[in-house]
Parts: sequence; structure tokens; C-alpha cells
Amino acid sequence: MRGLLLASVLALGCRPADRPATPPSAHRIVSLAPSSTELLFALGAGDQVVGRTTWCRYPPAALQVPDVGDGLNPNIEAIAARQPDLVVLYRSPLNETAATQLGRLGIPAVTLAQDRLEDIARAARELGRLTGREAAGDSIGAVMEALLGTPAPAPIARVAFVVWDNPPMVIGGGSYLDQLATLAGGANVFHDLGAASATVSIETIVARNPDLILVLSDSTAPPAYSTRREWRAVRAVREGRFITLPADLFGRPSPTAPAAVAALRRALEGATRR
Amino acid sequence: MSRWIGLGALVAVALVSAVALGPAHVALGDLASSEIVRSLRVPRALLALLVGGSLGVAGASLQALVRNPLADPFLLGLSGGAGLGAVLAIALHVAGPWALPLAAFAGALGAMALVYRLGLVGGAQLDPRVLLLAGVAVGAFSGAITTAIVSLAEAADLRNAFLWLWGGLSGASWDTVLVMAVYIPVPLVVLYAAARPLDLLALGEEPATHLGADVEPLKRRVYIAASLLTAAAVAVSGVIGFVGLIVPHITRLVWGHRHRALLPAAFLGGGALLLFADTAARVVVAPRELPVGIVTALVGVPLFAVLLRRWAGVRS
Amino acid sequence: MSGTAPLLAVHGVTYRYPHTAGDALHDVTLEVKAGEFHAVLGPNGSGKTTLVRVALGLVAPGAGTAELAGRPAAAWSRRDLARVVGVVTQREDSLFPQQVRETVLLGRYPHLSLWGAERPADRAAVTRALERCDAVALADRWIWTLSGGEYQRVRLARALAQEPRLLVLDEPTASLDVRHEMELFELVRGLVDRHGLAVVMITHHVNLAARFADHVLLLADGRTAAQGAPGAVLTRETVERVFAWPVAIEPFDGRPQMIPLRQPKEPT
Repeated sequence: MRGLLLASVLALGCRPADRPATPPSAHRIVSLAPSSTELLFALGAGDQVVGRTTWCRYPPAALQVPDVGDGLNPNIEAIAARQPDLVVLYRSPLNETAATQLGRLGIPAVTLAQDRLEDIARAARELGRLTGREAAGDSIGAVMEALLGTPAPAPIARVAFVVWDNPPMVIGGGSYLDQLATLAGGANVFHDLGAASATVSIETIVARNPDLILVLSDSTAPPAYSTRREWRAVRAVREGRFITLPADLFGRPSPTAPAAVAALRRALEGATRR
Repeated sequence: MSRWIGLGALVAVALVSAVALGPAHVALGDLASSEIVRSLRVPRALLALLVGGSLGVAGASLQALVRNPLADPFLLGLSGGAGLGAVLAIALHVAGPWALPLAAFAGALGAMALVYRLGLVGGAQLDPRVLLLAGVAVGAFSGAITTAIVSLAEAADLRNAFLWLWGGLSGASWDTVLVMAVYIPVPLVVLYAAARPLDLLALGEEPATHLGADVEPLKRRVYIAASLLTAAAVAVSGVIGFVGLIVPHITRLVWGHRHRALLPAAFLGGGALLLFADTAARVVVAPRELPVGIVTALVGVPLFAVLLRRWAGVRS
Repeated sequence: MSGTAPLLAVHGVTYRYPHTAGDALHDVTLEVKAGEFHAVLGPNGSGKTTLVRVALGLVAPGAGTAELAGRPAAAWSRRDLARVVGVVTQREDSLFPQQVRETVLLGRYPHLSLWGAERPADRAAVTRALERCDAVALADRWIWTLSGGEYQRVRLARALAQEPRLLVLDEPTASLDVRHEMELFELVRGLVDRHGLAVVMITHHVNLAARFADHVLLLADGRTAAQGAPGAVLTRETVERVFAWPVAIEPFDGRPQMIPLRQPKEPT
């Protein structure tokens, strides 16, 4: 199965006849997604990154790289001004169009899926190949695959990720966060939702009764909605049982996933002890 | 009389189904004791009734005021103002659980004042066409500023602010219900008192004046009261479209054009529609939830088409 | 019927629309008492509608006074005034479809209390108004199904439902054929004779005004060209001067009738 996936990724990585071929070893890379920026630095290719999006903040060294816009609707001119020999895009229909536009300007572009942890493994290998650092790429890929390959521990807590309060949005089984939780021993009560995120009613959260609410935040304060009357129907909110997850480890699927899993495991153990 | 009994029964059924049905399974016998029902479903059902009712009455009044049956409470720029207010509150990190609704309300009032002022430009005296154009302009302008702020800003939170604006009753609690219940009676009473003069206004401003209506103060009162109702609705539940547009038409098909009957019917009808729509939004793709504005369109438009066919048959 | 205070009295009124040069009205005087039928005539733009606006207190005159039933026009609240004066405007666009009885009922507005419902007395007033306008048969019809003449009768009925003492009609026969025009003039004359109403009618129909009205006010360029009994006002000199067209005046039924003459073309 994995072989088939790898083959199809490579096949998809092959550009159609009208797109320029990627250079044997890219030296001026514009990376338009936080995951790929982080991966490039992790591969030791940070010096070769000449453009990033506003959202690419990890590692801190990435902040020195010039910003070419928010990357959601790629600014072709700003990208071209950096004179890249490779552009790395997050895989989405809009970005396929951007890749084609870049191709017309003679700039090679690849789109990489970057949603789940296995995508990071593949992306690491692909970027390793593109930057002439196959060994580093394979190494990161192996670490990710090992992480994914270890059997998940028995769950020690039932959790829900609440990313927005009005309307209430939770993380489902399609997200890397769900994977991190499973690996850390947290059972996502919304795992059955196939999407990465979904809007639900508060009453659904009440009914599924998670032990802990996981919040993506760099501050440790409980979220603003925790004082609202309707949210206090959720037991975990009433009892103040929140775990805040800082952006550096949890903000995107990342090669630091093993550290994230460990941190989350510690937090879950600490919370369930009380 | 039987029409009113029918409408009352419809509202009762809507309330009961909103309380009994939901993505979380609550057995009928447990309804009274269930925390979900008491803390979440009952206030949400009441809020749907109050918001839907407010939108229905505001829509009917504004359609009479601007003499345009296609007028919707959000046509006068209020939703744009509310969105801008909400986005500014998030961007400026204003704290507190009521920050967002209050900021949205303030934004909506700002838009209302601006449109009102534009409606008076050049002695226009709240000319309906000027009001509509000003409303569209103010709405578009605030929308543009809002989009600019969101695209330039760095917090992911701001993008999620748009989700709130799309409308939903997730923020319903006994607190919100209380605030709405205390707030809306005054604008509702003002509009009901204006019911007969609004009938006169339908003939035109000059004939209405000669029949005894004080047209300029009337337009001001109706505009402000309808805007206040709409601003409150947006503040607690974002922009829920179609209710204010369609409910007056549906109720006109049954109750006619006399506003003394139409306004109360629009209140109850709007409340019932939003109740059914919200119940459907919560249940149809459970455990996920649909934005209620989509459901109001999906439910309201075919309903309107059916009634329109019947009315067209009567006319021919 | 005369000897009481005039229902409508404007004295020496002058009015100029904002941002215009020239007075729309200059030093015009008109008194209307109960049981009198006044016609206001004049070419387009001579100030007829402006006169009505000033008389009803919709705009304040730059000079002169306007009084209604003995009180200054500006002192009347719109609601109180609607109980005394019924106005049928030139045009009306009804936004929503209505039945005749419903639209006539709107005329009861000035008599209804803020919260109270319509009373049997109101419905009786509507029926009476419909009877006086010979429109009872139309009571349950929808407005859009009415002919022009029928619609005008209904609008008149609505004004009568207000139970006014003065009726003001602005070109009520503008688009009516001869039969409906005659019917309307007869109707109005009957209201004056049998029910003692006062009527001010703006009309282009010089001849019918001459036949039916008691008094005629002929305006030209905002000024009074002539005023008084039709026979005194509608002389050839005056009419030709005001309308800038050659006419002959022939008597009919004791009233002057205007016959416009053809302008011979210059031979080429």
C-alpha cells in the first residue's frame, strides 16, 4: 500500500509536459506552506529558502526569510520577484492553478499534500530529493513512519479539540491533531467525523462528554467562551479541564511530531492524575 | 380566526420539536430533567422564536417603508456594519464574552446612522430609493473594509469571525434570551403602533399625508425601530437571511396587507420558520451542524413558491 | 350656507420653490365656503398644485396667510386636518393589491384611535361613502380589476369616508372618457348640492368646469388672471391671453364654453 502511495506521489510529482522540470538541486526555494518551510529547515536547507508566507514562523530562523504574502492566494509577482528555481505549494485546487501560472513563467512548482503526519513523511523525502539532501529526507521520513508505525497506546483520556466557539468547531478524524492525540493516548470523541474539522452543536459536545478540552493557544488562560453560560453545560468546561497546546509544536503537521506526542502525553497524564 | 389558531399551533409544534429533537439523543421521558434540554435546547428555541420574529416584523415594516417587496432587513447595510464591528473587536482583542455581540450591535447601529444620514442628503427626506442605495453602499463599503482587515491581519481568529457572521444560534443561552426578551418589546410596540399609518404609506407619501399620516416622523420611527430589531438579531445570531424577506410575503398571502394583522403574523411566522430551520440545521447532518441561513433558504423558498402558485391561481 | 367661516382661505399668498427664480405663486387669494364648488384652471405650470399645497399647509407661503376652517393651516395636525379635508391627488401607486372596501376603509384612519379596532360606525361610513359615489356594486372587487372611471369613484369614496367638509380634487378626470368625466362632475356637483360639501377642483377641462362650478379661479404664471363666476372669468380676451391660443366663447346652458380655433398655416 505504501509503495503504491509513494509511486503515485512521485507520479503526481512528475509535472505534465508543459510544466518546467525541477532542477537537479534547487538553490532558491520559495515555500508557501508552514509545514514545507519547517521541513526545509529541518533538512538543513534553510539557507536555500528565499521566500516564505506570513504564516511560516518555525523554526525562528525562518523569520529572517523574506515574506511573499499569505500564501492562501499566491501572489505570483511577489514569488517571481524572488527569482526562485523551485516553488513548493500546499496541495489544493487553487494552488494547482497557481502552479500552472508559475509554470508559464518558467518557474518549476510542486504541490505537496501537507495535512496529515504521513504527508510529512512523504514531503520530507520529496523535498530531500529536490534539494539534494536525500539522506536527511529519508531520515526524517523514517522517524515519522516509525512514529506512525508504533501501535497507539490504550487511551487514558477522552478529549475534544475545540478550535472556535461560535459556531462551535471541533477537530475530526481527518486532521493531524487527531493523529497526535491518538498517539499520545487521547481518544478524540469526534474521531468518527471524517473531515479535518466540523461545526457541531454544543449539545453534541455535552453528549459526548470529553474529559478534557484541547485548545490551540500560546497562553495558558482558559478560552474566553469558558465563562459563557451555554458552554458551561459541557462538563469539561464547567470543571475547567483545559489543556492548551502551543503553536510551535501543534500548529501544523511537523517533523517535531514525536516531541508533540510526548508533550501531549505528559499533559494528559498530568490532567488525569488530578 | 382559524388562521391564527393554525399559526399558533404551528409555533407550538415548532417549539416542541426544537426542544425534543437534536443531535444528542434525549428520551422523551427525560426531557424535563435533561441538562442539555434545560441549558441548551430551551434557550436556543426561545432565541430562535425571538430572532425569527424580530426579523419577520423588521422585514415587513421595511418592505412597507421602502415601498419595495424585495427589501430584506439586511439590505440597509446593517450586516456589513455588524461584521465590521465584530472584526474590529477581534482584531483589537477586546475581551469578555459579550464583546462580540456588543461590537456587532454597535457596528450595526453605526451603519444605521450612516444610512439614515445619507437618506437625508439633499433634502431627500428618507426617500426609499435613496435609503436602498445608501444601504447597499454602506453594506458594500463596510464589507470591503472588513475583508481588507481580515486579509491583512495575522490572527487566524479573524478568518473565523466570518463564520460567526454567516449566522447561527450557537450562542444561545438564558442570558442571551433574557437580553433579547427585554430589548425587543419597545421596537415591536413602536412598529405595531405604526401599523395603520404603514397601510396608508402603501398608497404613496402624498396620499398618506392627506389621509392623516405624519409621514416624515413615521418613516423615521419605522426605520429606527426596524433597524434596532435587526441589529439585535445580528448581534446575537449573525446574519440569517431569507427570514425577513420571505416571511412577510408568506403571511401576506394568508393575512393580506393590513399591517395590524400582518405584523403579529410575521412575528409568529418568522419565529416558526427559524425554529424549524434551526432544528433541521442541528439534526439533518448530525453530529455536524449546518449554517442555519442555508436551511432558511432551503425551507423558505419552496414554501413560498407553493403559496405563490396558489395565490396566482386566485388572481387569474 | 354662506356667512359661516370659510373652510379654505388663502389671502395674498406668494410662494417660491427653493433654488428657483421667479414665484410659483404671487399674491393669490381664494376663499371657499361650504356648499361652493370652485374650479382652479390655468395652463401647465401656472401654480394650481402649488396653490393647493400652500392652502393645505404642506408648504409655508413666503407672504400671505393660509387658513383652514378658521385656523392657520400650519396649526393643524395632519390627523385633525384629515377629518375636515379630503384630498384626491392626481396619482397614487398602490403598492399592494387591495379590495375596494379595504381601500375605502383607509379613509377612516383619522377617526380611529391608536390601538382601537374599526367600529361599526366606521363600516357604516364606508358604506355611505360608497353609496354616494355609486360604487356599492364595486365593494368586493379588487382594485386592479377596476376601470379608470371606477377607480376614481373609489378614490373619491375613500376621501368621503373621511367625512370631510371640504374636498380637494387634483385633476380627477385626467384620463377618463367623456362618460366617466360627466359622471364624476355630476357626482361632485351632487355632493355639493345635496350634502353641503365645499369642493376645490383643479382641472384642465375648462368647459366642464364652466358648466358645473360656481366659481372659477384662472391662474397664469402664478398670478390670478381672473376670478369669479364662470361667465365673468371666461371671456375671449382673458382666455386667449392666458392660454396663448385663439378661441371663441359660445354660451351653452347659460355658461360660457371655450372653442379653440384652428391656426391657419402660412402658405408656402
